[in-house]
Amino acid sequence: MTDPFELLGVERRFSLDRAALEQRHRDLSRTLHPDRYVQSPAGERRMALERAVAVNEAFRALRDPLSRAEALLSAHGLAVGDADRPSQSLLMEVMELRESLDEARRSPDKVAALLAQVRARSGSEEALLASVFDDQPAPGPDALGRARDALVRLKYFRRFEEEADAALDS
Amino acid sequence: MALFQIFDPSARPTPIGIDLGTTHSLVAYTVDGRPECVLDCDMSPLLPSVVHYLEHGGVMVGNAGREKAALHPRETLVSVKRFMGRGADDAETRRMGPYDFAMPEPGQSNTVRFKVHGRTLTPVEVSAEILRVLRTNAEEKLRTIGGAVITVPAYFDEAQRQATKDAAKLAGLEVLRLLNEPTAAALAYGLDKGRTRGTFAVYDLGGGTFDVTILSLDDGVFQVRSTGGDAQLGGDDMDRAFAEWVFRHMGVDPATASPELVRAALDAARLAKHELTDRPNTVIAVTAGETTFERSVRRTEFEDIVRPVIERTTPAVKRALRDAGLRPEEVDGVILVGGSTRVPAVREHVKKLFGQEPLSDIDPDQVVAFGAAIQANLLAGDGAQEDALILDVIPLSLGIETMGGVAEKILPRNTTIPAGRAQQFTTYADGQTGFELHVVQGERELAADNRSLAKFTLKGIPPMPAGAAKLEVTFRVDADGMLTVTARELNTGIEQRIEVTPSFGLSGDDVERMLLESYEHAESDLAARQLRERIIEGERVIAATEAALKVDGDLLDEDERAELDGALKALRDAIAGQDGKKIHHRTEGLDRATHPLAERRMDRAVQQAMKGRAVAEIEDTVKDRPEHPHLAASYAADEASDKET
Repeated sequence: MTDPFELLGVERRFSLDRAALEQRHRDLSRTLHPDRYVQSPAGERRMALERAVAVNEAFRALRDPLSRAEALLSAHGLAVGDADRPSQSLLMEVMELRESLDEARRSPDKVAALLAQVRARSGSEEALLASVFDDQPAPGPDALGRARDALVRLKYFRRFEEEADAALDS
Repeated sequence: MALFQIFDPSARPTPIGIDLGTTHSLVAYTVDGRPECVLDCDMSPLLPSVVHYLEHGGVMVGNAGREKAALHPRETLVSVKRFMGRGADDAETRRMGPYDFAMPEPGQSNTVRFKVHGRTLTPVEVSAEILRVLRTNAEEKLRTIGGAVITVPAYFDEAQRQATKDAAKLAGLEVLRLLNEPTAAALAYGLDKGRTRGTFAVYDLGGGTFDVTILSLDDGVFQVRSTGGDAQLGGDDMDRAFAEWVFRHMGVDPATASPELVRAALDAARLAKHELTDRPNTVIAVTAGETTFERSVRRTEFEDIVRPVIERTTPAVKRALRDAGLRPEEVDGVILVGGSTRVPAVREHVKKLFGQEPLSDIDPDQVVAFGAAIQANLLAGDGAQEDALILDVIPLSLGIETMGGVAEKILPRNTTIPAGRAQQFTTYADGQTGFELHVVQGERELAADNRSLAKFTLKGIPPMPAGAAKLEVTFRVDADGMLTVTARELNTGIEQRIEVTPSFGLSGDDVERMLLESYEHAESDLAARQLRERIIEGERVIAATEAALKVDGDLLDEDERAELDGALKALRDAIAGQDGKKIHHRTEGLDRATHPLAERRMDRAVQQAMKGRAVAEIEDTVKDRPEHPHLAASYAADEASDKET
């Protein structure tokens, strides 16, 4: 995939203004969306469709801090695949969180409290990512390694947040 | 004095918007950007979605058909939309209703088939009859109609969408776009009120489907944030629950009741439901043959009967809000759509869910058709240059079955369309020479619990050790929400592409055959029709090319310009010569010749779009505005780049 930052014309940073990003997505969609090419020759329609798909995919990648961090790591030459095994301590922490969630399932207040606790953890991982990618011109291997570990933790927290959210609904 | 309407034969055909509803269908168009419905012969915009089949061929559609329902329940198809895209063995076909079903014969696709007068009929054919009447009504009013935008419930799956497109094709309509019903309603509301921004929820409870959609409006762009619903829930279910209550009081078992009695009870229930909208009590009366039943019923009794049906909308609303990352009070307005939202208990329920009084200043029966007409005008009419745009999403996750029967999501629900994503898989056995791909739709963990869309096999891969082959599967969803899947083995380049024809839909051949069979497309017409279509297409490409040259002709050098002019002239000559094959060929030639121009024009447009707003505006770091983590798209924690299939 093309570099989403380049495709949307935004600076390669972790922190970005969500409203401005959405504005850029809307502006590009106005130009490239298939609705604008209904009367066009088939070739042009296909061309616009390809580009609209790429823009939507780039927007999706940058809108979510998790995939944004992945895009940044891969822009720095680090692939984030299944090579990133979670640390033992992370696995322990998530297991304990899951157990607490199972116990708390019947009490929405307790689930909400757990959710808030994990969201705070996610917030500090995001702060770490911002410090690596935004505060220095060219992060070194150590800093990138720290960012990758933060991303792995963020993924596990995200999955937990989704489960807790779903538990709140039922 | 009589007023003569003078038709200009060279006038542009008017694009139309169609709401193909469970209970009623409507067709609308725009005059100076404002939507209007075409009236049926009885001066109502609502055409009942009822088709009665006569014994010796021929159909009666609408009110005339509905009058036949009581005496000919098996030959009169009501609420056929509920059967669109359904399999013969689907639960829906076994529910209370008066129809006879035919099981598919060997070699036939597993779609629902009604048995009527010894013929078998698919829901696609029945829907096409309704669309034909709408088309005729529109042609009487507008003389020449252009393409059509047809609305579908947002929660319609792939099979149901394809069935709708097939029905339109069968009715001789050019489909400009399938548009989700709640989005259509929001378009009508948004543009009607001149609102420029805000977050809206659309609660759409129709005759047979329920949708909830959360969307935001910003400078004319309607962006759907999330959508949810139940494609098998609507006012019909209230009628059924009410009819079952009637049967209980009659001491009759609905399973053994005659089709006439079932039809009479359902009709009486619907009538009483309507009356209880404005009155605190009414009398429900059922008459079928010798059997009569009469009982007075209070609105509160009715509300107790249908409350479970209304409650079934709650989980979808909550999930849609969660997916959009919003609390109910953050919604600026709740739009009511669908005839069932007239029921006071439904309004109360919506008010409770969102903590605010819902909007209903546009007729909930017409609002969807209005939105469809507006969209048709934006796509192909006078409004084509306007800034309004709809960014819609896929309602259900699309994925593939992997090892252990797990459904691996490739495009999660609420992904903005058009969308595309590729994912790599690998073999799990040594020497495996084929990949079996099973495409599924839905949110459940296991593939078997989701809707199966298609199965296909990528063959001919040379034997390799397990894990060595690299299979890239690409999902692509277009602006109609239709899926195409491509699979490619990266080491060998072996590729296979399929348009996903749902396992129990109709095949392209089925549709062609039906087209040929239908009386208005006899084989002799086909050639003339094809020539006409090719001329229209050729003229469209000429017009588009000339318009492009006028604005951006400077993007071509002299040689390129000469080549394009040559291709233009060649096509014009072919059209003058009325040679269908040549026209088709040279249209493709002109299309190819315009590529460099199209590409550069698009580049220019993108640059202008990016320049439109200062870059600094985008690059601003906003540290004091942290993102809400659950606003973001969902993401699997253990996603890996290589999965086994």
